[in-house]
Amino acid sequence: MDPGAAVNPDTGEANPYLPEVAANPIPFYERLRDHLPVAMFEGFGRGTWIISRYEDVRWALKHPEIFSSDFVAVDIGQDRPLIPLQIDPPEHAKYRRVIDPTIGPHEVAPLEDELRSVVNEILDGFVGRGTVDAHAEFTVPLPCIVFLSMCGLPLEHLQQLLEFKDNIIRPNTGDPEEDARVRRATGAALYAYFEDAIEQRRGGTGTDLLTRFLTSEVDGRTMSKEEMLDICYLFILGGLDTVTSTLDCSLAHLAQDPVQRALIADDPSIVPAAVEEMLRFHTPVMQILRAVAQPVELHGHQFEVGDTVMLMLGSADTDPSEFGEDASEFDATREVNRHLAFGGGPHRCLGSHLARLELRVALEEWHRRIPDYTVAEGAHLEYSPGIREIVSLPLVFDPVVAEAVE
Amino acid sequence: MMRIVFDEQACVGHGRCYALAPQVFDADDLGHCVVLLTEPPAELEAAARLAVASCPEDALTIEG
Repeated sequence: MDPGAAVNPDTGEANPYLPEVAANPIPFYERLRDHLPVAMFEGFGRGTWIISRYEDVRWALKHPEIFSSDFVAVDIGQDRPLIPLQIDPPEHAKYRRVIDPTIGPHEVAPLEDELRSVVNEILDGFVGRGTVDAHAEFTVPLPCIVFLSMCGLPLEHLQQLLEFKDNIIRPNTGDPEEDARVRRATGAALYAYFEDAIEQRRGGTGTDLLTRFLTSEVDGRTMSKEEMLDICYLFILGGLDTVTSTLDCSLAHLAQDPVQRALIADDPSIVPAAVEEMLRFHTPVMQILRAVAQPVELHGHQFEVGDTVMLMLGSADTDPSEFGEDASEFDATREVNRHLAFGGGPHRCLGSHLARLELRVALEEWHRRIPDYTVAEGAHLEYSPGIREIVSLPLVFDPVVAEAVE
Repeated sequence: MMRIVFDEQACVGHGRCYALAPQVFDADDLGHCVVLLTEPPAELEAAARLAVASCPEDALTIEG
């Protein structure tokens, strides 16, 4: 079906959770912005309002006192609010002051060489084959290996961490109650895993993230075990799937867009701008949820306290009022690009500096070694709604010789 | 000569400014903007203007 048909101006309803919308969201976004700047999604067992225009989304992100990000907005199997995402200002800033410096721009920059080696080791595993499921073999392991390394956790725990995040983000049992049960059980296992890892580091002198959390001070005191676990929970959910889905969308896009692919392969200096354009055009995290904390009116609609609101980041990012008449076109050399793929306002994604580094190095090395590739013939690319992973991404290319990593 | 005005309260650390004009802007440990050159020389003006225009929070403006 036409993804635009998922917006019904007569009933005021829209459904972003259809596979055809996730695969091709731009017609859906356009119809939302043009016809229903405040729409209703009858999902999740309760109504959720959708906001879709760039300025509206940006305004909502800047005002957590109206559109709160606290615990009520989303249930992902957690016992307590995730820190700092589900803590609103002013408390929120105390945690950001501690966590942001651990993955700030100057902190992640020295990781570049190691990251480049990791990317090349993964590439070595399949470049000689001429065919790969880029999702399973490249985009999934990469952010997880980086995370394990930064936390000082053993590489053998890769599958364990992937199971944690998949069971929480997409349990896909087909039954909402069973989904909730799986999330709860996985959440408990995730807490136990990190509790163990943190206890092992107590009194240690390592430089990994977990050891740093143990010695960091919030408001002049060290953090409680629970506070550290609530940060770890967010890192698993925020740090893995998002990079995976951005790389999925990027490789699938470039496999089908030889002109833009050649630009990047011929001139790696374009990659940073191309990363921003991938984030804008594909906005892998299509939407985020907020809870209304103060009554407010928008486009004649009255929001009441307790309403759930979906901020459609992908729609904001393709709004011609901000990005011009070519907003629905992909341009790896786009200059001014104020996309909201990392959100905005005080809750701006705290992993964005690490994410940008991972995305840049991954795309640089991939195109250095595999400049030319296409989607395998007959493959159907299935995008997950919400966070736009591609379930399987079979790519084909001319086999190249694996190179020893320096 | 152009003059850069920075609204510290509006900055949330998107980091576009120091990525696009690293000779004009830097990051503090939170990833928020630090203006290195309030009045950048002519050869850095174009990069500075692009960086200012790229701030998603309108934390940067240009006078003159």
